Amino acid sequence: MIARWLAPLALGLFAALLAWHVTLAQMPYALMRLATARVAAAGGVNRMTHAPLVTAKSRAIVRPSPDLLYSSCPFNLAGGPVLIEVPAIAAPYWSLSVFDARTDTAFVRNVRAAPTGVRVALLGTGQQAPAGYVAVRPEGGRGIALLRVLIDRTHDFGMIDKARRAARCEVAAQR
Amino acid sequence: MRFSARLLLCAVAGGLIGTGGAIYSVRSGALGNQLTLGPWATGRDFGSSEASRYTRAVVALRGLLALPAREARYYNAVVDSAGAPLEGRCRYRLSGGALPAAWWSVTLYDPAGYLVPNAAGVYSVGSASLSPDEQRAWQVTIAPQPAPGRWLPTGNALRFELTLRTYLPIDGGQGEATAAQLPRIDKVGCA
Repeated sequence: MIARWLAPLALGLFAALLAWHVTLAQMPYALMRLATARVAAAGGVNRMTHAPLVTAKSRAIVRPSPDLLYSSCPFNLAGGPVLIEVPAIAAPYWSLSVFDARTDTAFVRNVRAAPTGVRVALLGTGQQAPAGYVAVRPEGGRGIALLRVLIDRTHDFGMIDKARRAARCEVAAQR
Repeated sequence: MRFSARLLLCAVAGGLIGTGGAIYSVRSGALGNQLTLGPWATGRDFGSSEASRYTRAVVALRGLLALPAREARYYNAVVDSAGAPLEGRCRYRLSGGALPAAWWSVTLYDPAGYLVPNAAGVYSVGSASLSPDEQRAWQVTIAPQPAPGRWLPTGNALRFELTLRTYLPIDGGQGEATAAQLPRIDKVGCA
């Protein structure tokens, strides 16, 4: 009786292990797709959306920092390279980071490394960066570029907010 | 039961158990499960291609778009310095000194990772709003009701979590802070 179930049980164990690893591997992709859709719903794809100050009503991204202003660009490289420009921002800290479809960080540049701003070209297979742009090739061709800008909520940050709203994100072919 | 039916039954059951187990494990996983420093849990490979599948899945669920260690370190607390769960009805003293980074902040979240509504609209305390003197020795009261000095409201949350962010760590994210360098979370009392 037991012998008749040995092979099926071994197969079941194998299936459980396989499902465990596949689920863990796919969860980041699924959660990134969900987050990308949420952010894109506010401002579209391949466009920089400048989110208002984070409050308790903010639900687009889990664990937002209330000490930062966020501008985000959900990108899809199917239509060509996506170009991102961040101007100089007179904040104690800002950074531009690019997260790929697997949620890994493909690129980070902060105010110390780029005090005059940064220009980044997000590239898919076979695509080339225009002159003057840092080339970044995010895995999967989709993801989110995120600009974080430090503010002091207890003081006026209008000038910082105005400066970060000059950040741009667009498909290269549209320029 | 035919042999092929037994194979199919066990394969389907195994697949469901494996999938469900992985989801349960990630949902119950803590952000920063690699190292504990007092009440703070952290990891060094958030947002990194070196992260394990499990760490990447937990970070994607609990701290999506986290920066790599050279840019920022994240420390999460679900317990106080005595190891007791953080409760919204209780009053805590959060205290610390200078932290080994360019700037830092402590934010209060609900267990799902969202900011807790409160009438004061206060969700965090950070070095950007502290004077240089205060940055060397600071103290915050965490409580549901207003408190003198710096106050971090717990709103109506039953349980809460604290996330300490240290940006541009002075060691470039290569080393590790000690428990003594990180803030203490001391329970003062409960309503």
